[in-house]
Amino acid sequence: MAAVKRLKRVAALQPGFISFKSSAESDDLNSGRRKRVNKNKKKNWNKHSDIQDVEEFLDDVRLQERATGGLISEKPDDSLFFVDIGEQKKSVLPEVQERKKGKKSKSRPLRIDLILQHDSLVPPPKDVLAYQQPNAKKLRRIAENAEKLAAMGVLPRRQKRLLNRRPATKTSKAKTAANNFPDRPYYDLWGGEAKETADPYYLEQTGKRRVKRPEKLNAKPSILPAVEVIAPGGSYNPDFFSHQALLLEAHEVEVTRERAELRIERQLAVKREDTATEETVFQELVEGLVEEEEEEEDDVVSIRGGLQQEKKTEKERKRERADKIKSQQKQAARVFTDKKQQLFQLRSIQATLKRREQRTRERVAQRKANQEAEKSMPRRLGRLKFQAQDLEIQLSDEIPGSLRTLKPEGSVLKDRFKSMQKRNMIEPRERAKFKRRHKVKYVEKRAFREIT
Amino acid sequence: MGGLQKKKYERGSATNYITRNKARKKLQLSLADFRRLCILKGIYPHEPKHKKKVNKGSTAPRTFYLLKDIRFLLHEPIVRKFREYKVFVRKLRKAYGKAEWTAVERLRDNKPGYKLDHIIKERYPTFIDALRDIDDALSMCFLFSTFARTGKCHVQTITLCRRLTVEWMNYVVTSRSLRKVFISIKGIYYQAEVLGQLITWLVPYQFAHDHPTDVDYRVMATFTEMYTTLFGFINFRLYQTLNLVYPPKVTQHEKLNRWVSCSLQKLSALSASLARVVATAEEEEENQLDQFPADGEDLENMEAREKEQKEQEAQNRLFEGLKFFLNREVPRESLAFILRCFGAEVSWDKSLCIGGTYNVTDETITHQIVDRPDIDKQYINRYYIQPQWVFDSVNAKMRLPVEDYFLGVTLPPHLSPFVEEKDGDYVPPEKLKLMALQRGEKHEEEEDDDDDDDDEEYNDEVDDEDLTEEKNLKKMEDQRSQGKTLAVKVTPGKVKPWETGSVGNKVRLEKEEKAEEKRLAIMMMKKKEKYLYDKIMFGKKRTTREVSEHLRKIHSGSSFLLLLVL
Repeated sequence: MAAVKRLKRVAALQPGFISFKSSAESDDLNSGRRKRVNKNKKKNWNKHSDIQDVEEFLDDVRLQERATGGLISEKPDDSLFFVDIGEQKKSVLPEVQERKKGKKSKSRPLRIDLILQHDSLVPPPKDVLAYQQPNAKKLRRIAENAEKLAAMGVLPRRQKRLLNRRPATKTSKAKTAANNFPDRPYYDLWGGEAKETADPYYLEQTGKRRVKRPEKLNAKPSILPAVEVIAPGGSYNPDFFSHQALLLEAHEVEVTRERAELRIERQLAVKREDTATEETVFQELVEGLVEEEEEEEDDVVSIRGGLQQEKKTEKERKRERADKIKSQQKQAARVFTDKKQQLFQLRSIQATLKRREQRTRERVAQRKANQEAEKSMPRRLGRLKFQAQDLEIQLSDEIPGSLRTLKPEGSVLKDRFKSMQKRNMIEPRERAKFKRRHKVKYVEKRAFREIT
Repeated sequence: MGGLQKKKYERGSATNYITRNKARKKLQLSLADFRRLCILKGIYPHEPKHKKKVNKGSTAPRTFYLLKDIRFLLHEPIVRKFREYKVFVRKLRKAYGKAEWTAVERLRDNKPGYKLDHIIKERYPTFIDALRDIDDALSMCFLFSTFARTGKCHVQTITLCRRLTVEWMNYVVTSRSLRKVFISIKGIYYQAEVLGQLITWLVPYQFAHDHPTDVDYRVMATFTEMYTTLFGFINFRLYQTLNLVYPPKVTQHEKLNRWVSCSLQKLSALSASLARVVATAEEEEENQLDQFPADGEDLENMEAREKEQKEQEAQNRLFEGLKFFLNREVPRESLAFILRCFGAEVSWDKSLCIGGTYNVTDETITHQIVDRPDIDKQYINRYYIQPQWVFDSVNAKMRLPVEDYFLGVTLPPHLSPFVEEKDGDYVPPEKLKLMALQRGEKHEEEEDDDDDDDDEEYNDEVDDEDLTEEKNLKKMEDQRSQGKTLAVKVTPGKVKPWETGSVGNKVRLEKEEKAEEKRLAIMMMKKKEKYLYDKIMFGKKRTTREVSEHLRKIHSGSSFLLLLVL
């Protein structure tokens, strides 16, 4: 190993030797890092012997042979260098030049041709196929075999593979057309007969039979009609009184809305009596300052002093019993007389009964009316209450004189949407707000932080 | 004791209802899909009578569905299609993200779709059921056909709605079923009688309108999906009853532009008659009522019915034989529809729309409908009337005198035909006149003068009342609109001549007192009230800020007109 290295180093140091790659670096890299290995074992001759330098040298030699046609060190000086004398003055005589040119063109080839010649020591590879001469008999036999196979129907392998490949043309499948494409065909939905071809039990068990729609679903969710016509005051050329009636309705709505807004302010308003008058102000200022007559203390303590009663005597107990009996008797007598007197109070009793019955009847009627009214009201189906839309109305100065100058009021889209909410078909919803999961943090950029 | 104890909320109404989220989880669908499914199947939420019981003791507002309905939904085949669609979307998004374009194409080709035919059949087992529910479908389809074709909702839906509405209008024209028309500020209300059912629908105006932001478009689109399916089937059946070809074709001998091949456009012109399956005679056959042997009571009924039928037929021929020409500024489709429904011939300027069969210079035109204050070239043998004549005539079921509707004349008010006045109610004088007209025109001529005088006096009184009432109302309106800004007004500085001297002091004292009162009241408030008060003040300050902004803009002279218009 060391011998090889020495050899290489010696070769590199020879005066004539010029290498393409400088192999001086490869020594320094590995010198400090190598692990100590026993190189006397056969196992380690291959593993831990570093022939990189030799390989590099040999590579270099081969490269030179390939590229430049031989070792550069063995080339003659002329091929590598030329002496730069400077430009020679061109002679004026044309005939001499022509002759010179002709000589030059014959004797010396073009520079570019020289450059393009391959001057490598490595010969170009031999083209094997160029030396193959076609055997006529063999060729004829191959052609006959191919014809026979083609006649039988067996295709050569290449064609088979081509045919097996999936064809490029797409087969148009029957696409289920979208629901809303404009030229959608319709057919007689209610005309055909019901096709109960198979056994109903079979159909049910295999899940092919349609489940019957429950009867309750056929009931309409509200008794309101689908399209409610606007009041006659909403005509484009309304009659005066109907327009006024509609204006009045709209006015009422606005008034209730304003009252609701002012309700809070009214609740918070200050009462007149609580305003500070001069007297009360004076009292406040003076409180605690003036020494008033102290109130006389009440010596009479009204607290009853504890339980200093004696036990009840027999007498007292007897008395209590007698009292109780007496009061009970009195009550019984009173009830008896009341009952007797009721006979004379029949008329007034009847009157009270009648009044009570009437009240019940009124209440029943009222409750029924409320229930009926509720049926036409929109039901509360969810978090939000139903907000009726504003009445579509045009003020007296907005009423157009003619159909041409009419400006439509309100939006039919909104009207239909609200009508569906009113009829309990959909629940009122609001747009979902964008909620951030985590709070937004603001951080200054490092550059700015350094500045400020 | 000793038996099974009854626990609360385990039986009865608590178990009949299910909340929306639980239902959604049971079906394993997303919320949007669940809502779509409910809308398509016609399953609506219910409000239980005793909310506390159903909600297991709490009164939190929740949306409840009947448990049986949700169980019924579990058997629906399009639930599977929804889930497949969700998976399809996920795969497509992945392919897009990985830029695998062949995969994208392949997935797009196999996009899952669903059909709603079986749902319609299940919800409306008979044709008459479907016909009863067509009001909603009609209004929605008409509404969607007026949408602008931006990408907000599928353009295909809009086209389909337009096609269906045009088919419906052609049907009504051919069957002469229109009965009432009402022009309102919202849109045009029509009422037709089809196979014994009274159908009312609303058509919005064609002019562009702003779309409100608080309407849920997905919900409306789902409704429209269902309604277009329903409507298409109903159209098919209706055309079948009249022996017409469906999809409808226009008869060939009408003079229409040859180079327009789109059948939808030809149909929407509403000026041509439809092709029939069996080529029958052009005139409609009059159906004679069978003469049954008449009993005592039935005789009256039969006579009444015969009379009704005769009236109906007379009404159907209201404008028969008349030739109309529509000027440019008049709503063409609505008027063409109405006029054709009653047997008239209509035409319009060729540059407006296809289907205008004759020109304005045609001599045989009897009426020309104009909405301008005046028109330069006038032909002698035709009437120039405003469009309200048509609507009022239809509602009155007779041809009203044309004089009231000439150009430049103040029109009589357009009364609503949907109002049924009871005995004691107010009947507008115009309606009284109309009823008198209907009873017989002869009476009208004699009493015309008297009526006019009476009307004039009445009108004068009414006018006075009008004026005062209008003034009051105007004041109220003004106050209302300004009510909020009364507290703050940015007015230019005024020189107050009375600020000096004792008078000024008094005023200042009063002001100070008021301010002191206010401060005291604020101090005395409870925490809750103070919180409310703060909220109010914040809102007020915000409005005052806005008002001052507006006024600043006004003073700087920009966008004032814009504000007015809005």
